[in-house]
Formats: sequence, structure tokens, C-alpha cells
Amino acid sequence: MDIFDLRWDIVWNYRDMFIRGIGVTLILTLSGYFGGILLGLFLGLGKLSSKKWIYWPSKLYIDLFRGTPMLVQILLIHLAVIPTIFGHSLGYMVSGITALILNCAAYNAEIFRAGIQSIAKGQMEAARSLGLTHNQAMRKVILPQAFRRMIPPLGNEFIALLKDSSLVTVIAAPDILYASKVVAGASFRFWEPYIVAALLYLVLTYGVTKIVAFIEKRFSNSYVPRKAKVEGREAR
Amino acid sequence: MIKIENLHKYFGKLEVLKGIDYEIQEKQVVCVIGPSGSGKSTFLRCINMLEEVTDGAIYIENVKINDPKTNINEIRAEVGMVFQQFNLFPHMTVIDNVTMAPMQIRKMSRTDAEALGHELLKKVGLDSKAYNYPEQLSGGQQQRVAIARALAMKPKAILFDEPTSALDPEMVKEVLDVMKNLAAEGMTMVVVTHEMGFAREVGDRVVFMDGGYIVEEGSPEELFGNPQSDRTKAFLGKVL
Repeated sequence: MDIFDLRWDIVWNYRDMFIRGIGVTLILTLSGYFGGILLGLFLGLGKLSSKKWIYWPSKLYIDLFRGTPMLVQILLIHLAVIPTIFGHSLGYMVSGITALILNCAAYNAEIFRAGIQSIAKGQMEAARSLGLTHNQAMRKVILPQAFRRMIPPLGNEFIALLKDSSLVTVIAAPDILYASKVVAGASFRFWEPYIVAALLYLVLTYGVTKIVAFIEKRFSNSYVPRKAKVEGREAR
Repeated sequence: MIKIENLHKYFGKLEVLKGIDYEIQEKQVVCVIGPSGSGKSTFLRCINMLEEVTDGAIYIENVKINDPKTNINEIRAEVGMVFQQFNLFPHMTVIDNVTMAPMQIRKMSRTDAEALGHELLKKVGLDSKAYNYPEQLSGGQQQRVAIARALAMKPKAILFDEPTSALDPEMVKEVLDVMKNLAAEGMTMVVVTHEMGFAREVGDRVVFMDGGYIVEEGSPEELFGNPQSDRTKAFLGKVL
């Protein structure tokens, strides 16, 4: 095949599939990510717990999901776990979102744990010395500070998940990559559909990178709001 | 007011406090001096249970604080603490640093808490910085805010853990002046310090600790003017 004779019109004919693919990829990634943040927060706090019956299950979960390939997790959940529990498949979307949430939670848990542990011990001591309970100190003092430090790694995790979501193609979820496979299978042309898939992922991840950079710039480095900084004595 | 009986503290197998007995009266300013590693900071941190007590008993107004039945949060609300590294909350403005605990714990309204906060900031000479963030302040200013933060809970006593050790020399005085005023107002204070001048001038009692023991204790005149123990003499010989 001559690569200089690209037939973009073939891809164009399948544009509806690609558009649907973008939608599926975004739905999978966003649900997986925000579900993973919620579950990950509990797991991360669990791994910081001094109670063994909370610590060990959290640690086991995190090790299990970080230590096995996501592809294996997707297949196990879709073909074994869900059919066993419900008696039949619940469709690729349920399986895909479940797998992404469970996997993403394990990575986010480590981000939360590291973020919380990175806050100097003196902050917790100062809060407790005023009479705050452990939970009050977490809520008012530790988490607001830890959150800022978590922004960059949480952004990375979103990008990683966006790309990893392409693995759900194996259970025939019609995401971006799936559209390319269909086009390739029907036309026996490979350059065009896979380049389009690559470009679509690139545009999405680049967009996310920009958003994360914007959030990071607003929250990182300094706690002093920009307006106050200009007025304050240490205006930079 | 604060009574310590046979206090022992281990870090793992290392015994840091080897049986401390001491009593602090209301309105007293007790300065604790001694070489680093002598256990003086650990002793101070045991008084509000930032360090778990291995053995012995600590009573604050006749309540045994290292009793599992005692609500330690209630005790800590009554005993302020000022740290060497200030430990202000960097994500809050100065005024929020001061008002947070009264609002959270004493359920004070924001209006009342802020009125109290401004009053205390005036007292430490920093009301003009109320809406700045800690990182915009110098070390000495931060430590004065930390004192205002401790005062906001209206504590019965304040523990100072080397409050001027992390400061540039020219800022030590402004913090010590605030502490002197507190002492003059009758605040009960326990101060771990290397500032011998402060201990001599402001302290009602001076405690010399070494190797996990209280070696010697007395009025500043006695302890600085006529130390009894050889270890006290050797230490004072080096620092004075």
C-alpha cells in the first residue's frame, strides 16, 4: 500500500462512528475517573488508618489493582465477575465503567495517601493542640492543603485513564479505537483509521493537559490570591 | 495547676524521660532549659499529650489527662501550644488562623470570633496583617500570630516549645516582648527556651533538665546565681 495515496474519504464516510466513539471514550473516562476519585479517597484514607482491619483491605485492594494489567481486569469483570453475580452480562458500558472505576481508584488512592502524608506533621499537631479532633483537623487543615499538591498527579491520572480506556475495545465497547478497527476491517486500510484514532486521543489528552495546567497555575505554588499579592507587600 | 508524677517516656527502646515529678502553679512562668536531647521538648509535649505518656501521670486542674476516659480534645482546648516552627495554617489568612478553632470547637459565631481575633491581633501588634497570608509575614510576625491563635481558645495555660529558636536574631525580641506581656497579665506559661535572658527576667521558676531528668529547679536567682549541681554549672558555663 502506498502511504502517499491516503484515502481520508473512507474515514470521513465513517465519521458518525468516530463521533460516537469520542462520546463513548469521554463517558467511560469521566465516569471512571470521578468514580475512581470517590472510591480512591476512601481507599487512600484507609491506607493511612492505624486500624489494621481498615488498613489491610485497602492495601490489598490497591496492590491487586495496581499489580495486574487493566486488560485482564476488564476481561475478568466483563466475562466472569458480572455474569456470575447477575447471571448475565450487563453490557459493555457497565463492565467498562466498573473496570475503569475500580482500576482508577487504586491509583488515585495512592495519590491521596501521598498528598496527605506530604503535609508537614506540625500542621496536624498545631490543629490537634487547639483541641480539634482528628477528623476536624483533616477537614479544615490537612485536606485543603493536600488537595493542591494532588492536582498535578490527579491530572496525570486522568490522561493515563483516557488512553487506557481504549482497552475496552476488547469487550466491543464502541469507543474511538473500536471505530478505527471497524473501518480497518471493512476497508483493509490501516494508516488512515489508526492515524485518526491517534489524533483524536492526542487532541483530547492535549486539551486535558491545558485544563490541568490552568488549574495548577491557579492553585499551586502560593496560597496568596493573585489580587492580594499585587496589593500585599510581597507583590511579585 | 499542672502536676506531673513520675513521668516516663520511651521512644521505642530509648528512654527519653526517666521519671519526672513537677508541679506548676497557676500564673507561674516556668522556663525549662537544658542541652538538646535532654528531653525538655518531649516533657512539654507530654503535657498536652502530643506525645503519648509511657508511664506516670499528668494532672491538669486535678484531671488525669493520660486516662483513657479523659477527652483529650477538651483538655487541649484549655492548654495552648506555640511551636518552634510556628505551624500556622498556610491556606488561611491570619485572621482565619486565629478564628478557626473558636468557631469549630467553641461554636462561636463568625462575628464574635472575628471581633476576638482582631482584639488578639492588636494585642500582638499585627491587626494590620489580618487579611494577609502567613507566607507574607516574617518569622517573628508568624510566631506572634501563632501566639494570638493559641490565645483565641482562652487557654488556662500556654506551652511554648522553643518559640524563638527558628527566628532571625533581630526578630527574637518582638516575640519575647509579647510573651513578657502575657506573663505580666498572669498567664500560666511553660517555656522551653534557650533564651537565658528571658528565663532570668520573666521566669518565676527555672528548671534545668539533662539526660531525661530534672537535675535542678529553682528561682532564676537561685539557679543562675548559685547553681548546686555540677551539670547545671557546666551547662550554664557554656551558654552564659
